[in-house]
Amino acid sequence: MMSVSAASVTQLLFDWQQGDQSALKKLTPLIYDELRRIAHHYVKHERNGHTLQTTALVNEAYVRLAGQERPGWQNRSHFFAVTAKVMRHILIDHARRRRYLKHGGQFQQVSMAEASLMSAERAGELIALDEALDELKNFDPRKSEVVELRYFGGLSLEETAEALEISVMTVRRDWRAAKAWLFRRMRETDESDDASLQSSIGNRKLAM
Amino acid sequence: MTPERWHRVEEVLQAALDHPPADRAAFLNEACAGDEELERETSSMIAAYDDASQFFAEPAMARDARVIINGDAQMHPGREIGPYQIIRHIGTGGMGEVYLAHDSRLNRPVALKVIRAGLIFDEALLRRFQTEARVASALNQANILTVYEIGQDDEVFFIATEFIDGQTIRERIRAADLTLKDVLEIAGQLLSGLEAAHATGIIHRDIKPENVIQRHDGVVKILDFGIAKLLEKSSPENSSTTSPVVRTETGVGVMLGTIGYMSPEQVRGLTVDVRTDIWSCGVVLYEMLGGQRPFDGQTNADTLVTMLEREPEPLFGTGSKAPTALRQIQVVIDKALSKEPSARYQTAAEMRASLEQIKTTLETRKQIRAGAISAQTNVRDLQSLAAQNNTSGFRRAIVMAMAALLITAMFAAAFMYQRQKARANLLAVKAAPKAYLQMTEAEKLAFVEAQEQRISNMMGDRPVKLNDDALRVIKSRIDRYAARKPGEESLSSTYARAPEYIPVIARAFAARKIPIVVGVYLPLIESAYRPCYENENGSKGLFQFMPQTAARYGVSRAEMCDVQKMAPAAAHYIADRMAELGDDSQSMTLVLLSYNRGPNGVRDALVLLRETDANYERNFWTLFANRTKLDETFQKESAWYVPQFFAAAIIGENPEAFGLQMPALSSFARDVIEKR
Repeated sequence: MMSVSAASVTQLLFDWQQGDQSALKKLTPLIYDELRRIAHHYVKHERNGHTLQTTALVNEAYVRLAGQERPGWQNRSHFFAVTAKVMRHILIDHARRRRYLKHGGQFQQVSMAEASLMSAERAGELIALDEALDELKNFDPRKSEVVELRYFGGLSLEETAEALEISVMTVRRDWRAAKAWLFRRMRETDESDDASLQSSIGNRKLAM
Repeated sequence: MTPERWHRVEEVLQAALDHPPADRAAFLNEACAGDEELERETSSMIAAYDDASQFFAEPAMARDARVIINGDAQMHPGREIGPYQIIRHIGTGGMGEVYLAHDSRLNRPVALKVIRAGLIFDEALLRRFQTEARVASALNQANILTVYEIGQDDEVFFIATEFIDGQTIRERIRAADLTLKDVLEIAGQLLSGLEAAHATGIIHRDIKPENVIQRHDGVVKILDFGIAKLLEKSSPENSSTTSPVVRTETGVGVMLGTIGYMSPEQVRGLTVDVRTDIWSCGVVLYEMLGGQRPFDGQTNADTLVTMLEREPEPLFGTGSKAPTALRQIQVVIDKALSKEPSARYQTAAEMRASLEQIKTTLETRKQIRAGAISAQTNVRDLQSLAAQNNTSGFRRAIVMAMAALLITAMFAAAFMYQRQKARANLLAVKAAPKAYLQMTEAEKLAFVEAQEQRISNMMGDRPVKLNDDALRVIKSRIDRYAARKPGEESLSSTYARAPEYIPVIARAFAARKIPIVVGVYLPLIESAYRPCYENENGSKGLFQFMPQTAARYGVSRAEMCDVQKMAPAAAHYIADRMAELGDDSQSMTLVLLSYNRGPNGVRDALVLLRETDANYERNFWTLFANRTKLDETFQKESAWYVPQFFAAAIIGENPEAFGLQMPALSSFARDVIEKR
């Protein structure tokens, strides 16, 4: 489907792991397509009332992109990490635009369209999470990675452990401590945002 | 936080988490042994832990799949949509993206307008999209873009149209290579296209340079019938003599169109007819000649004010030395841009005829003397002529200074209008009340219908005619209230609690500009005005918030019984739901539904029902009548929630008919608002 072959996907993953940021750029559209495929599964299953295991879908995506050619676990963990990053990036990007639209764009029809994809509340949550994760990374980078893989990458505890080469027990403990710290931090942000939020809602309602 | 400090905090946190929830507080108290800072830090994390687990329970994908599907604006080349293969992105419209694509069956290029799946949950947008296809495919005229097909492929809706290899008028204005002849030619064809549309009963409502394209062979095409309206003939017998009118669906204060090109009546949200397109043509003509719009400001607000309040600068200066042809064109523009529709050209044909005449004169005139203008004169030269001829310069500055003030007043007026409308209904003199229980069945139904309309009105909804099914459901709720059995709380004690809370609620809801009637009756059906009511789902308080929702609106679990805290939170929450529903928030009944169900749920249902009922728009009662088609949760909710609301409101607004010794509940709210 794309001009990038399976072999070059593994190469790009390798390059990225070696610190080549341009590799990430090349990977992003490929991964985006895969994420979209996963998202379609979700929407479909949501209608049927089933829940899904993202891990299985991400695995499938990896096999599709990288082929059977170098199915090393190392490449696979790199792939998971990239997927989680791309996912985070897309969502945060959208959340930021959503917030911008809320504050400044009420005359544009596009804003309605964008707004329908993500609620203002959700956008606020995601931005707060993103900022809190960055902060967490400063004093406990591994926990921030665990959260990225679990929450944005959709990985199970076991897959996360494999990807980070740590024990499942460690992931479990990291995960619960990180959740508690992050959520409390997000709440603090939320409270300090409240004043500006209130005045912006006043403006929006004028268009009622 | 330093890594060292975090190490210490985490140690305590992990140990606390190893304890059962009930023992954690005691553990922390002991473990921190006087280190208050540490205890505060870890306790707040423990306190957040339950909500945190809930938040992180599902991966982001589960919540945001639609953002991933639709979040990026563009589709990659090569992607196939139906029989079409995307070649490249060529533009962005209000509702979606436009691509050049290849039709493999007929081996021809097409322009493919694609609406992304996420948008189909926005009922209003989907409707516009379909209107566009329906309207445009009904039109078959040389100056209107031909629609080949409307279709759906998986999650994507698309419209395939002829592909025009040419330039939009916006691009031509930018290039500044238009001659006077070009301008008259383009305007003429534009008006021909509109004439055809108007004759079919369609007004475009969004004529602007971006929506008019000129093919390389000179043919002009009108694009984007996305917000077009079908005209409604006022009555069949005199339809030939009266102007067709259209009812605005958007209501006062909502604008659909593009600021700068919309007519005054369109901006005001009033009834529009074909003459709104005449106005927009006047703006486009002015811009083609002058290089800038007749009404322009630094902000949208400035533009609106200039347009509503001021006459445009004469194109060719205020002196009287402009050549005859230009003065004639100015007359045409002035007429098209009359604030009063009745002073404009009444039809596109009339305006086209005026321009045609000017064109003929110009074309037949030989260039007798140097410096005279002709059809070949570039409009840039006209613009410099205007600059020389201009005798006034700074009127605009004064206008701008007033802009911000006036625009605020305008929006406020729109809002006040809705309020007054509601107020008028509120104060409407009622016929001598007959006790509800003494009415016949037919009288009861009539009473319910009249009162439902009145309350819808108070909520700012356009009242709709209810079907019998819906009426009966509200009636049965009222009957159940009215005939409370011994042992159940009497109606009068429930309603008697209201006046205590209403002043607080009224202030909070007024502050968020939400119809007060919603604030008055929501708590009644949620908790019957018992501030500390708690239900089996764990929601609590007057407005029955879940604790985590309340927390998100700044109310802690302990404060949920405090009406002073909960009323503003509820108003804030509803304001957010309204914002999420966007256009649809016009209907408070829909907001009421989304209050429990979420805007996407409401939109899903609307999309489903669109196929079933032509009258589905913003109409809870259509949802209701077709509830068997909805999923189970929605069925229950829509069948319970809204009828219950209306029943509570009908009783509360007609206390005397139910033997309650008190004024209408909303009158308490009114007193509060009026005293402010």
